[in-house]
Amino acid sequence: MITQEKYRTTVKELLASGSVKMVIGYKPGSTPDRRRPLFIRTSEEADQLVLDSTCMTNLSGYLVTEGLLSDEKRVGIFLRPEGIRSINILAAEYQLNIEQIVILGFDSTGRDVRPLEGRNAGDFSGLLSEIKEKPVQTSKEPLLERIEKMNAQERFDFWQEEFSRCIKCYACRQACPMCYCRRCIVDSNQPQWINTSSHTLGNFEWNIVRAFHLSGRCVQCGNCDRACPVNIPLRLINQRMATEVLDGFDHFAGLSPTQEPVLASFKKDDTETFIL
Amino acid sequence: MTRILFSDKLDNCIAKWRSAGLTVIGPVQGESLSGYAAVEKAAGFEFGMVLPERPLKELFFPQTEPMLRYTIKKNEIDTTDFTAPQGKRIIFGARACDASGLAIDDPLFGWDYKDEYWFQRRNESVIVTIACTKADDFCMCTSLKLAPDSTKGSDVLLRPIDKNRGWLIEELTDRGREAFAIISDYLQESSEPAVPTVVVPEKFNLDACVTWLQNPENFDSKFWKEISMRCIGCASCTYLCPTCHCFDIQDEGDTYSGIRRKNWDSCSFALFTMHTSGHNPRSTQSARWRQRIMHKFNYFPGKFSVNSCSGCGRCSRQCPVDMGITETLQEISKL
Ligand code: SF4
Ligand code: SF4
Ligand code: SF4
Ligand code: SF4
Repeated sequence: MITQEKYRTTVKELLASGSVKMVIGYKPGSTPDRRRPLFIRTSEEADQLVLDSTCMTNLSGYLVTEGLLSDEKRVGIFLRPEGIRSINILAAEYQLNIEQIVILGFDSTGRDVRPLEGRNAGDFSGLLSEIKEKPVQTSKEPLLERIEKMNAQERFDFWQEEFSRCIKCYACRQACPMCYCRRCIVDSNQPQWINTSSHTLGNFEWNIVRAFHLSGRCVQCGNCDRACPVNIPLRLINQRMATEVLDGFDHFAGLSPTQEPVLASFKKDDTETFIL
Repeated sequence: MTRILFSDKLDNCIAKWRSAGLTVIGPVQGESLSGYAAVEKAAGFEFGMVLPERPLKELFFPQTEPMLRYTIKKNEIDTTDFTAPQGKRIIFGARACDASGLAIDDPLFGWDYKDEYWFQRRNESVIVTIACTKADDFCMCTSLKLAPDSTKGSDVLLRPIDKNRGWLIEELTDRGREAFAIISDYLQESSEPAVPTVVVPEKFNLDACVTWLQNPENFDSKFWKEISMRCIGCASCTYLCPTCHCFDIQDEGDTYSGIRRKNWDSCSFALFTMHTSGHNPRSTQSARWRQRIMHKFNYFPGKFSVNSCSGCGRCSRQCPVDMGITETLQEISKL
């Protein structure tokens, strides 16, 4: 409550001083347990702001849709640490100018929500390095344990079963702040790389493309997983890829706005004989 | 006196229907998702849920449907048609909103071209709807002038009796009567009352909304941008909608052979109206959301005299950013 009240005041001050044109936050949703994105442009709108532990959605995707930042004005945005990582990646991949973003950081443990110190992406580098070194220990999901015990064939069968439910709505893509491509590979038809049909093969193709394209870029905000209408445990795929990238390349996505993207950079003295 | 189907006789009925060649389908709770699926025993059904997460429409209009196989040779093109899989089915325990959805889409699929895939399945399916005694915050059939016990699209309406012991039977069509004649040995006469249907509050004034939508001045209203600012253009509201019916025809294969398929498509996608030139008449998400609302409550009723929404609430229940038809129409009612 205190954090929320303080932040309402901060938002009003930011808008009144003209330092931002808009703040993206949360407001109550259609049921008591739901929150929905809120675009604050006036002091009255700031009064609708809610900030509590149920504010889960990573809002950073809104920064790169429909030219929000194209007038070079600054925008404030409520972000959890994962959200801060995703705007760092967007900056590193030249999708936004990090100077235009005013961060209103928060995090929560249980039901308690607390503000994070800082306003600019750079202010959070210490915090993000800490998270890289000491990831928050959460108990392992039973489903993950089950999958880890499977052999390759069982694992294949498991995912085949899961993907057979996919309806190719692409909610996972739309919800992901890292999926900003103007023309997604699945929407390209000259040539048609990926089957458009939502049969098991087409669903496999889509989900594998998604897994690879987000390796070293996913920040585990959970947007995709929450958005999937057929409840495919998408988080597990991306978590696994993040672990691979961390173990193999010591790359923790989104540490800073200037971090080199792991799958889009190469070195001349690389010992590998191929690039992906 | 009405006839009753007691729950403890359902296994006998299922066996009887199955031996008469019908596939028995109904609400099923999967490990992580609910939907309508075939069962062999009554225990496979789950009647307790408000409604299945996946809509009934996909049993009639699947997400991908093969239409023809083609082979292109030097001087000729060979094609083989695919038809919808044959076989009679009984959908036991449809929800009224899902059944209405089918009836809403019938004129669309039969309008200038008769969609055989849809109608073959429609003609071979008996829809047995169970009136709702439970609803959630998102149900809104009554706002659409339907009801938890509406008979639209159904062949038989069942009303639950106390303690889940069975259902009172109202046969509505010949198809329904035929299907219930098969199991008549297991039905009993009774004067037991039905459990009252759930009260679903009206959430908006539909007529006021329609009048607003029909006014051409409102096409360019600022309202559209405001209401849809948070829409991320995922298509889940359209794909889970029991009445959304848009599809795209795609050839899958190469230049010489392949399969032509009919796949779900959605007005939420930027690509939906993209021209080959690159011009997109619905270039913003707000234009796409406006289309969804206009189509359902203005254009579709203009052509077929029925709204393209049965009030199931799935669009709002499912939306990752908590939007949906309900909020939009509630806001329009206030304008
Ligand atoms: S893949 Fe999923 S968890 Fe990862 S950044 Fe995208 S939305 Fe978030
Ligand atoms: S959100 Fe789920 S159903 Fe939709 S495309 Fe992604 S994996 Fe498939
Ligand atoms: S309204 Fe919601 S469910 Fe529908 S396209 Fe927009 S974000 Fe997706
Ligand atoms: S528009 Fe929404 S409430 Fe209406 S039928 Fe479709 S999913 Fe259900």
